[in-house]
Amino acid sequence: MPSATKKETEKEQFKWFDSYTKVMLAVMFVILLFIFGAGKYMDSHKMAAGGTDDLVNNLASAVTHTEHHPFVDLPGDAQVGAFSVANFFAGLIVGHHWEKLFGKSKSEEQSPEVE
Amino acid sequence: MHIEDGILSPLAWGSWYAVTTGFIIPGVREIKKKVQENLSYKPFLAMTGVAVFVISAMHLPVPVTGSCSHPCGTPLAAIVVGPFATAVISAIVLFFQAIFLGHGGITTIGANDFSMGIVGGISGYLSWKLLRSLRSPLWLAAGAAGFVGDIATYLTSSFELALSLHGHVPLLKQWMIFFMGYGPTQLPLAIAEAVFTASVLQVMVNRRPDLLPGIKLSQKSNREVNTNAIGN
Repeated sequence: MPSATKKETEKEQFKWFDSYTKVMLAVMFVILLFIFGAGKYMDSHKMAAGGTDDLVNNLASAVTHTEHHPFVDLPGDAQVGAFSVANFFAGLIVGHHWEKLFGKSKSEEQSPEVE
Repeated sequence: MHIEDGILSPLAWGSWYAVTTGFIIPGVREIKKKVQENLSYKPFLAMTGVAVFVISAMHLPVPVTGSCSHPCGTPLAAIVVGPFATAVISAIVLFFQAIFLGHGGITTIGANDFSMGIVGGISGYLSWKLLRSLRSPLWLAAGAAGFVGDIATYLTSSFELALSLHGHVPLLKQWMIFFMGYGPTQLPLAIAEAVFTASVLQVMVNRRPDLLPGIKLSQKSNREVNTNAIGN
């Protein structure tokens, strides 16, 4: 019996699919479904699906007769590489400081009755 | 609203940098003050910055117009961390988007921050404050903030372009020409941003009201007012 209680406690502690997770996953799937559906529709109707930022930047370039381009623009997949490197190390650093940033403060731990 | 390098003249982008600095300085002061008052404000601000980065890089397709655009996230940020602090985090967000995603540019951070971080944030914040002062429901005030902040961002961005590039064309006409490049795609996204802002704020108030002391206080005040009214 005690082992069953322990198992139940563990099961309770590691309940990953709580209501919040389920709602978030459902919302994510609905948005992804919309994106894929819209993408399929635009593709079948030969729509460019470009960004309006680019559209207006091109419109502005037509007025200035100059090329617009990012000041810092890595070629090809190098941009993805640089972004991934920055994310990787940012993740490590935030993970390292996670408890300090989001854990309970010492005063909260010492006096749990204080909300 | 990400204006790229090479479009605005040095005088124009330099001026937008100067204007934006006028909001960044009080923003830094606001952050320093709030960090001293509340230790959890700094990580919360960082997470809000991450949210603004992701939301404003999230290009969503609009099949009706055949193009994609993105929401801003700054109206929500202005409500939860303050409008001037939003100007600061938006500048940081735009810097990282420029160097890693090729969105916007280095020279245009001032102009882009003015449209997204400052006008988007402050217009959303003022809409929120106005509606809350009129005792509007939280979801309605937050939704209106999201919608107004989104549209105001793109109106400002097209105004920045028109102001620099209108030449002999009337400013208003050029402004509307640029805005029509954004408008049809942005309208449904502004509605989506309204729904998003309202939903996120409602969830935050329900689950973590401690993160939003100002909103919690106003709700408490409302309850007190209601209780007093019932008592009387």
